[in-house]
Parts: sequence; C-alpha cells; structure tokens
Amino acid sequence: MSKIVLHLYIAGQTPRAERAINTLRQMIEHDLAGYECELTIIDVLANPQQAEEQKILATPTLIKSLPLPHRRVIGDLSNVKDLLNVLNLPPQS
Amino acid sequence: MAIEAQPRSKAEDFLRAVVAHDADGAIVVDQHGTVRFLNRAAEQLLNRHGAELKGQVFGFPLVVGERAEVEVLRPNGEFAVAEMRVLSIEWEGQDALLITLRDVTFERQAEAALREAEAFSIAILNSLTSEIVVLDEQGKIVAVNEAWLEFGRRHGVTDVSTIGVGADYFAICAAAEPGTGGPAVLQGLQAVLAGELNEFTYEYPVSTPEETRWFALRAVSLRSARKGLVVAHNDITQQRRAAQIAAEAEMLREQVRQMERELANVEAISRPDDMARSRLAPLRQRDAEHFQRALNRYGELLEAALASRVHRLPAPSRSLRELGEWLGSIWAAPRDLIDIHLQAMRDRSQDHTPKKLQAYFEEGRLLLLELMGHLASYYRSIAAGEVSFRE
Repeated sequence: MSKIVLHLYIAGQTPRAERAINTLRQMIEHDLAGYECELTIIDVLANPQQAEEQKILATPTLIKSLPLPHRRVIGDLSNVKDLLNVLNLPPQS
Repeated sequence: MAIEAQPRSKAEDFLRAVVAHDADGAIVVDQHGTVRFLNRAAEQLLNRHGAELKGQVFGFPLVVGERAEVEVLRPNGEFAVAEMRVLSIEWEGQDALLITLRDVTFERQAEAALREAEAFSIAILNSLTSEIVVLDEQGKIVAVNEAWLEFGRRHGVTDVSTIGVGADYFAICAAAEPGTGGPAVLQGLQAVLAGELNEFTYEYPVSTPEETRWFALRAVSLRSARKGLVVAHNDITQQRRAAQIAAEAEMLREQVRQMERELANVEAISRPDDMARSRLAPLRQRDAEHFQRALNRYGELLEAALASRVHRLPAPSRSLRELGEWLGSIWAAPRDLIDIHLQAMRDRSQDHTPKKLQAYFEEGRLLLLELMGHLASYYRSIAAGEVSFRE
C-alpha cells in the first residue's frame, strides 16, 4: 500500500492555517484512515529558507510528494472533498 | 467574460490585454498549477520577476465560495495578504485558471489594529472593579465588563446574554418590579442621554439571603461621536456603613450632651479640691491601660447584652453599675465613655454583617446611656458624701 506524504506550509498561527491543519487532520483520520500518512507542517516565518528552496509563493500551500505525481494546492484548504479530489486521493491501487 | 463567443486567438489577445493592465495581480496557471503568465501587478505583489516565475509551480488554487485569502510570500521573508479569486479560462488553446490576487494587507492590518484597540478597551473595562455597562442611544447594551457579568452571576443570572451585549437595558429598567427604582433610573438615564443632566446617580440595595449590599449607579454620556451612556455600578456598602457609624456617633453625641451638662454640675460638687479634673486629658491619653481595661469590659458587657437580646434573658445590670463606678473612681468623664463606646463599635464594624452591626448599635446605645447613668449616680454619691473619693 502506497505511503502518503504531505507537507503543509503556513505563515504563522493564522485562522487560515488552523483551518487547513484541522481539515488535513480530519482527512487523514477519517478519509485516509487505511493508509500510512505522513504530514509535516512547516511555518515559513520560522523556516523562510525552506520555503524559498521549495519555491513556496503563497500560504497555505499543501504539497503531495507521494504517491506520485506531485501535486501542489494553495488557497482555502477547508473542504475535505475538494482536497481529496484535487490531490487525487485516496490512491487508486 | 465572453471569451468563447470570439475566435480563440482574438479572445486570448483580448484577455491578455485586460489581464496585463489589471490593477490586481493576475496569474494564469495550467491544470497542474504551473505559471503560464503573470501581469506586472502580480510581479509587484510577489516582488519577483515574471521570467523567474514562468514555468514554476504556483499551485492549484482552491477557493470555497467566491474567494479565499492567502499570504503571498516575498523573497525577503515579508508577506502580503491577498484575496484570491479563480476563473476557468482557455489560455494558448488549453484549459487554464486565471488567479487574481488583490492586496488586502492594509485592510487586514487596519482591521487587526481595530480589533487590538477594541481588545485594549475591553481590557481596560475588565481591569476596573466597578460594574460597567455601555449603552447606545436606544438603551441597548453595546459593551460590558467582566465585573458586570460576575455581578449578574452572583445575583442569580444564569443566562448572561440577558444582561450582556445586545440586551435592552432600558427595557430591563422599565420591566423592573415596582419599588425597585427601575422607572426612576430609566428616567435619569434618558435625561442624561437627552443632555438635560450631566450625570445621574442612584443608590440601591441588593439583598441576598446572607446580606444586603448597597450599590451606587452613576451614568454619564459616552464621550465619542456615537451617542450613548456609560453606566457604572459601585459597591458602596462599606461607605454606607461608615456613614451609618458616623451618624450613630453624632446621635450619641446629641444624647449625651444633655447628660454631660447634668454631670458637669455633679462632677463640680463631687470633685476634691486638690483635683482639677475638668482639665484632665481624655482617659485614652492619660491612662491607656485603664482605657483598654474599660474597653475590654465594655466589650464583654456588649456581647452579653447582645446574647441576652437573642436569648431573651435579663441584661447584666449589676456588672454595668460596677463598671460605671469603677470608671468614676478613675475620674472618667462622659466623653471617655463615648470614646470607649465608639471604639467598641469601630472594632466590630469590620467583621460583622450589617444586621448584626445594627444590633450592636441598638444594644450599645442603651448600654452607654445606662453606663452614663451609673457614672452620674456615682458622682452624685460622692457629692452627697455617701462614697468617699478613692484614688
């Protein structure tokens, strides 16, 4: 079963960031419960270098590194259904 | 945007022209989120060159409803807040997304500053121990402090929304039971609002099964562009107790003044030639030990008198006569008795309920007058030669 690796870039503890984190936790716990998921949250204010290396232009940005293909989503990450659709998750085995 | 109705190349040219000159940042991305085009405003917003960004993945934009807010990151680590809208278009013959970014950093900063100012105002209100309510010109509550809500909770309000922001203070006053002062308060508040009064004050009691506390309401106009009132409620129970003690003291002085005149005559007759007692300093000053002893004894008799009142027993009159005689033997004057009495009252005013304090006053007054009588009798006896003066 393929591992799911997600990186969420946020800019401080804003309501937007908190909404995105809550949505992702909900998505991982319910919709992706049968998959091995790794979610890393990166605050670009604390790690500007990492954001620059990844060429993050806006936050919140969610990057799906695995399974391929890579997918990068920005904006309002509060709708689980939209997110799963755009990220093409859960992976089709 | 009626793009489909035109030949593709013309529609794209038209769109490019519109987007290029748009004051908002515009970024065209393909279905993978890769940048195909961005206008000058977007370059400025991102603080990056277009050439650097073309072909780079910006991201697939997600909005819920019409728009979403994002932070736009700049190379120097700063960021702007932008309102993002997304439109499906065709670009270079392929499906694409037009992302427009409107810089709302200033608006959000202004909103944050406003929220901070409001929070600061609320923090000031919450730091005050007075119960504060701010009303608009219709009498609706627009702000309250924590002390006010706590006051409500302490007095049985279970739903604080009934006394919180949005509640109708005027309606609460109008609906108050007759005799509670509600209509008088309403009239006063409206007079301040109309500019007929600079301020309105009203004192009222609040009773619980344990005690009655007194509060003073003070209403003044809100000093701002908005018309309204600031209503402060202060617990004045301590001040009222102090005023009550002062009034009691004054009344006692009146009552004993007459007795003093009578005693002065007796005193003059009974006074030994070698004593110029009228020039004696108050007992408290000239003999602190005896004053304390008298105070202790008076306190015991006061407590006993109160117990007698509660249990309906006869008061210990003999002991009081003995105290009167003893005070006479150390040449106590009426003012010393008053001094002892008032000190005993002051000692009890801190730790007792108003009801018990009232009982102390009533019993103390009787006790003092009786003690005065014993002192007068003692001096009369000396004057008549029935008792010899003892040093």
